[in-house]
Amino acid sequence: MALSRLKRRPDAEAGVIAGSVTTDIAIDHVSKAFSGAHGRVVALDNVALDIARGGFVAIIGPSGCGKSTLLRLVAGLELPDAGAVLVRGEYPEQFRRRGELGIVFQDPALLPWRTVARNIALPLQVLGRSARRYRDEIAVLIELVGLAGYADALPGQLSGGMRQRVAIARALVTEPSVLLLDEPFGALDQILRRSMNVELQRIWMQRRATTLLVTHSIDEAVFLADEVVVMHARPGRIAEVATVPFPRPRSPALFGSPEFHQICDQLAASLFSRED
Amino acid sequence: MPARFARSTVIFVALVAAWEFVGHLPVTGVRVVPPPSAILAQYVADWDIYVAHVTATIHNAAIGFICGNAVAIAAALLFCRFPMIERILHGVNVVIFALPMIVIGPVLVLVCNEGVPQIVLAAIAVYFPTMAATLVGLRDVDPRLVDVIATYGGGPTAVMRFVRLRGALPSLLAGLKIAASLSVLGAILGEFGSGERWGLGTYLLGSLSQADSARLWGISIAAGGLAMAGYGALSLLGRQLLGATLSVTLAANRLPDQIASGDIPATRRVLIAAVAVVLPFLLWGGVLQVLSLSPIIAPGPIDTFRYLFVDPGAEAARATLARALGQTLPVAGLGLAVGLVAAFVLAAAAVLTPRLTKTVLPVALVLQSTPLVALTPLALLLFGRETAAATALAVVIVFFPGFVILSQGFAQVPKAATEIVTVYGGGPVRSLVMVSLPYATPYLFAAAKLVAPRALLGVMVAEWLLTGKGLGNLLDFSRASLDYGMVWSGAVASVAVAVAVYVAIATLERAVRSDL
Repeated sequence: MALSRLKRRPDAEAGVIAGSVTTDIAIDHVSKAFSGAHGRVVALDNVALDIARGGFVAIIGPSGCGKSTLLRLVAGLELPDAGAVLVRGEYPEQFRRRGELGIVFQDPALLPWRTVARNIALPLQVLGRSARRYRDEIAVLIELVGLAGYADALPGQLSGGMRQRVAIARALVTEPSVLLLDEPFGALDQILRRSMNVELQRIWMQRRATTLLVTHSIDEAVFLADEVVVMHARPGRIAEVATVPFPRPRSPALFGSPEFHQICDQLAASLFSRED
Repeated sequence: MPARFARSTVIFVALVAAWEFVGHLPVTGVRVVPPPSAILAQYVADWDIYVAHVTATIHNAAIGFICGNAVAIAAALLFCRFPMIERILHGVNVVIFALPMIVIGPVLVLVCNEGVPQIVLAAIAVYFPTMAATLVGLRDVDPRLVDVIATYGGGPTAVMRFVRLRGALPSLLAGLKIAASLSVLGAILGEFGSGERWGLGTYLLGSLSQADSARLWGISIAAGGLAMAGYGALSLLGRQLLGATLSVTLAANRLPDQIASGDIPATRRVLIAAVAVVLPFLLWGGVLQVLSLSPIIAPGPIDTFRYLFVDPGAEAARATLARALGQTLPVAGLGLAVGLVAAFVLAAAAVLTPRLTKTVLPVALVLQSTPLVALTPLALLLFGRETAAATALAVVIVFFPGFVILSQGFAQVPKAATEIVTVYGGGPVRSLVMVSLPYATPYLFAAAKLVAPRALLGVMVAEWLLTGKGLGNLLDFSRASLDYGMVWSGAVASVAVAVAVYVAIATLERAVRSDL
C-alpha cells in the first residue's frame, strides 16, 4: 500500500476559511522509539501528516502501531526523536499553555473527590484562570454532554459512560481549538459507544475544534471522521489515508447503509494487508 | 444493628464473667490471672497515681506525635518532589524503620536534656509509618491525570497541588492511625530508661519487681487502652474527613517502592547507594559534634570502632557483645519463625472459612497496634523471668501484623484463578493448595520484612525487663554501670543486626519476585 500524505480538502464542512487551507496540526516526518525490557521498539517511523483547521481525522491501527504515541506527540506529552510537530505554528509545549488544547483518554481520569462541575473546572485552574467566571459556561457544558442535574455529583456516583462525558466536558471547557481523543470510548460497551458517537458528532458540530481521534473501531472512525488514517505496526507508519464522503449530520442509520460498509471493508482490507 | 449490639454485649458480659471465674480458680491463682474485680479495685486504690502517670505519658506521646508527624509529612513531600533525596536518605530511613527503639532510649538519655528522650522516642516511633504512608499516597497517581494537567501546561507543582496533596489524604490518615498507637509505645519505652518520676513506663518498671498481679494487669490494660484510644480517635477523624471507611492498607508498614532507576547511569547509582550507606554514620558523628558532647559519654562512630577493636579491653568488649547477641538472636529468630508460620497457617485456614477471617481480622488489625510493653507484665505473670517469656512476646508481636499482611496476600488472589480449579471439579482445599498458597507466598517476605525488627525489639524489651539476659540486659546493665562505650556498641550492634536482616529479606524478596 502506497504511503500517501493526507489530501487537503477545501470543504466548508471542515471549516476551512474562504478557499485558503490552514494547517492546524503539522506532523513533519517524526520518528520515535522506546527502549523497553525487550530492546528498542520503534513506535513511529518517519510519519508525516497534516490536519486542516476544523478537520476531524481518525487514526486506526493494530495495538502497537504507535497511534497513541502520535497523539501524545501532538499533545507534547512525548518528544519526537526526529522530525517535528507543530500545532498552529507552535511547538505543542508552547501551544498548550494557551489552553487551546483539549484531551480525552480511554479512562476518564477524574479526581474522585471533586464534583462533576469542579472536575470540569480543573483545566481552568491549572491555567490560573478563575473557575468562578466560567460558572455559566460550565453549566452549559454539563447540559451539552447530557449530564444536566449532575453538576454536584461525585464521580463515584456516576456510571462509566457518564464519567466519560465528564471527561469530554472537561476537555471542552477552555473552548479548545484542537481536540485530541485517545480511544475515548474504548472502555464502553458497543451500545453505549454508538450513542456516544452520535453525541460526540453533535458536540463537535457545535464547537468545530480540529479533532484527532485514535480508535480501535473501524466504524467509529468512519462514522465520525472526514479522513481516516490507517497505520501499520513494527515500525509504526501510515499505510493509507481514506476520505469519508458522507454529509453531516450523520444519523445512526448510516451504520446500516451499504456505502458505509463498503468504506469499512476497504479500510479493514487495508488494515490486514500487511502483517509482519 | 440493635441485635448485633445486644449480641456483642452478651458476649462481653460472658467473657468478663468467665474471666472473673478463672481469676478465682486456685490453679491459675490470683497471682497470674487476677479477676476483673480485683483489677478494678486496684485501679480505685491507685487512682491518683494513675492520673499522674497517664497524664505524663499522654503528654510525651502527644508532643512526639506532633513533632514526628510534622517531620514525616515534610520528608514525604520532599521525597515525592525530589526522588533523589529519598535515594540518598534511604539508609537513614531503613535505620529508623529497623532500629529496636529500646536501644536508643539509654543513648538519648545521655544526649538530651531531662524530659526530652521520651518525646524524641515517640517522635522517632511515628516518623516511619507516617512518612511511608504519605509517600505511597503522594506517589500513587493516575498517570492520565498527570497527562491532563500537562496538557494545560501544568508541571510537577500543579500535579502536587491539584492531585497528589488531596489524593494522599486517605493514606496519610491510615498512617496516622498506626502512628498514634506507636507514639504511646515510643513514649513508654522512652520512660523506662529516662529516670523520670512520672509516666506509665516508669510505673511499669517500678511495679514489675513487686509482682502485684492486679496492678500489673491494670498497667497493661491502661497502656493498651491508651494506644487503642489513639488508634480509634484517628480512625474516627479519618471517617469524618473522608466520609467512608478507610481501606485496610498497610502502606504505613512498608518502605515505599523506589521509583524506577532506569534513567540513572550505573556509576551514579553506585555512588548514591554508597552515600546512602555512609550517611547514617555521618549523621551520628555530625549530631554529636553539633551538640558538642564529651566523647566519653557520647562516642561517635570512630570512638565506638576503637572501643570494639583498638582500645585495651576491646577483646573483652567484643566477647561480651557476642555473648549477648548469641543469647538474643536465636530467641528472636525462633519467635519470628513461629509467629510467621502461625500467621501463615491461620491466614490460609481463614481462606477456607471466610467467617474466621471476618472474626479474626478486625481483632488482629487492632491488636497489631497494641504496644508490646502492655504485654510484658502478662508475659511475666504467665512465664516468669524465663526465656519462654521473651519468646512468647516475640511470637505475639510477630503474629498479629503478620496475619494482617498475609490475609491481604490471600485476598489478592484473583477470583478467576481459583474458579478455574472449581470449574474442573476441584474443591476449596484443592484451589487453596494449587492457586492461593503459591500466590500468597511472596507476601511472606513482605510480612517477614515488616515484623523481623519487631521480633528483635520484643525480645530485647523482655530481656531488659524480665529475663536479665542478652542484648536488652546488656544495655540496661551497661547503662547502670556507666559503661558508655558498651551502651553505644550494643545499640549500634542491634541496629546493625536489624538492618542486615531487613536488607537480607528485601534481597530475597526481590530475587523471588523477579522469578514470577
